[in-house]
Amino acid sequence: MAVLHTTINGEAIVAEVDPSISLAQFLRDNLYLTGTKIGCGKGECGACTIIMDGKSVTSCIIPVMRAEGAVIQTIEGVAQNGKLHPLQEEFVNQGAVQCGFCTPGMIMSAKALLDENPEPKKEEIREALGGNICRCTGYVNIERAVEAAAQRIQKGE
Amino acid sequence: MEYVNASSVRQVLDALTQADGGAVVMAGGTDLMVDFKAGKLQPKMWVDVTRVPELGGITVEDGKLVIGAAVTLTTIARSPLVRQYFPSLAQGCGTVGSLQIRNSATLVGNVVSAQPAGDGAMSLAPLDPTFTALSAQGERQLSMGEMYAGFARSAIDHSRELVTKISIPLPQPGEAASFVRLELRKSLSLPMLNCAAMIHVENGAVTWARITMAPVGVGPVRAKAAEAFLAGKALTEENMTQAGQLALEDANPRSNPLRGSREYRLDTLPVLIRRALEACRDQLEH
Repeated sequence: MAVLHTTINGEAIVAEVDPSISLAQFLRDNLYLTGTKIGCGKGECGACTIIMDGKSVTSCIIPVMRAEGAVIQTIEGVAQNGKLHPLQEEFVNQGAVQCGFCTPGMIMSAKALLDENPEPKKEEIREALGGNICRCTGYVNIERAVEAAAQRIQKGE
Repeated sequence: MEYVNASSVRQVLDALTQADGGAVVMAGGTDLMVDFKAGKLQPKMWVDVTRVPELGGITVEDGKLVIGAAVTLTTIARSPLVRQYFPSLAQGCGTVGSLQIRNSATLVGNVVSAQPAGDGAMSLAPLDPTFTALSAQGERQLSMGEMYAGFARSAIDHSRELVTKISIPLPQPGEAASFVRLELRKSLSLPMLNCAAMIHVENGAVTWARITMAPVGVGPVRAKAAEAFLAGKALTEENMTQAGQLALEDANPRSNPLRGSREYRLDTLPVLIRRALEACRDQLEH
């Protein structure tokens, strides 16, 4: 076992962990933050996407000890004080959710983009979401939701 | 298992020595973690090099572009220095996997994982890079060709040695490089074929060409017959088409159920090589 010091959704955490597990397993099995999904387990579907030090990463292939000293955001930390983030509201408004399994990863990829670049071009949205696979919606509404959220964020929401 | 978040190259070497073959050096880990989870790799210790300051940074030193071993593909793809000198390298690095993968994965890792058609490795291959590797035995330099020991096998033993940096001679006047790929889709998809080229043109004639292609053998394969044919010739449509055909002399692709049969790859490779050469010519005309 090893000792991990990390910050998750604004909270400093010290935990004893098995260093052979992935960050996604730690989030789900140790912290019960089950909003982060594990789909393929190989970094190919994007369902486990979280934000680590400002960058989107697939947490199923990040070793847990890579989180040492890092600042991590998961889907559970996106809503603030009970209020949904514009991205979450627009996923609802634009009908960008069907089964919902890919949605947390989609939102984390989109949030990493908008945090860094609140006025993304369509191509930049596609680059940011290119690593997230959805088998239900067909992507158009997801792209629209990100565009709508970006417009709201630009207006200061 | 032990996990070392190394903070210096010295600490990496000490950990490797201590583990005596039982450790594995990890940068982004996007390939290693998949192999580990599949049981193909069972290290006693991971030595994480992503936070070693000496392995970070992209700089120009003594006429060379130097890229540290821990620099991610995203950083390379967005680097003003890389985009200025080697736009094709920025393009190749910006094509690997997905943004999430590129945010972790490194260019050195893309070479050391030794997959035949890594897009980062391919875009680097014709640029004549030198790899600096360090072990308890000391430092050594390897060329692109020397980095590959066999199919999906690297010359670097990641339990005893680490690559510290890549050095690429800056392009001279009359030189241009390109990277092209044939793909099923843009993201999360290995290429059906990829190739890259770098050429030097003087007084309207090619003085030398380096053309690389994959997956048609071990690592990025040089199209030697095509390179020899182009030397001394102008980059006309006819010569570029002919060079594409001659590339087949050095190509031995396998059939893949997802990414194209041998026959399809042999049919399309000449077109890709021609496109790579056209892209070089277009840059030189501007």
